[in-house]
Amino acid sequence: MPDPKTHTLPAKAAATELKPEGPWRVVVLNDPVNLMSYVVMVFRKVFGFDEARARKHMLEVHELGRSVVWRGHREKAEAYAFTLQQWHLTSGLESDEAS
Amino acid sequence: MKPPERRVEVILSLAVVNPLVDVIRGLVTELREAPPLPHAAPESEPDFNAIWADELVTGRDRDVGVLLAIFDGDFSLEGRVCFDSENAEPFIRACSAVRLCLRDRRLAAVTDEVLESGDMDAAKLDVRTQKAFLCYLFLATLQELVIQRIEDGTIG
Repeated sequence: MPDPKTHTLPAKAAATELKPEGPWRVVVLNDPVNLMSYVVMVFRKVFGFDEARARKHMLEVHELGRSVVWRGHREKAEAYAFTLQQWHLTSGLESDEAS
Repeated sequence: MKPPERRVEVILSLAVVNPLVDVIRGLVTELREAPPLPHAAPESEPDFNAIWADELVTGRDRDVGVLLAIFDGDFSLEGRVCFDSENAEPFIRACSAVRLCLRDRRLAAVTDEVLESGDMDAAKLDVRTQKAFLCYLFLATLQELVIQRIEDGTIG
């Protein structure tokens, strides 16, 4: 399982009202800079994936341009996206309800 | 008794690597000013987006500081750089940050296909782009080495 210590998302203001709380997707997009081995290592570290699963997602990113690496509640999805950006992977959130 | 810390030492050619480290040093100001990746979440408040961006920039600055510190001290005398459990992860993150910045600020003349393959005759580039390209490849090589050593448990 992911180590919660790796998620250092800045605290959100208490008054914040979030939009839909339904399922959200964390998506990683391809870039020409980051090495395949680096992307695999980051997926393993951030999500706790085993080697095969991390490699599968890395190849999706590389060959299809994107991969959905996690689904769940928005707050946690934001924390994952933030951590991925700390590792300089281009990542984003999408609402499952939008699809 | 605490076990001895495992670390990796690499001896680099000062004549070859010093000019590449100078490229990184020359990029520091631009790196500090470079915007982070855009906020990943739709429909977020501006204040939250600003905090998000600040945290990313602060982390990036810290990581690049670790990278530059690795190339101080023993490196400037003997070409020796050391990686351990303290600096390995910040270093490989910083390598990505610097490579992304090199691509944006110094390597506009090089296509993404070439950047991805690394397959290019650097001698055909102007001197500034050539140094940036070699620095880009050098950081990838060191990054790959440190990732391998983290994964095989040599660093830790």
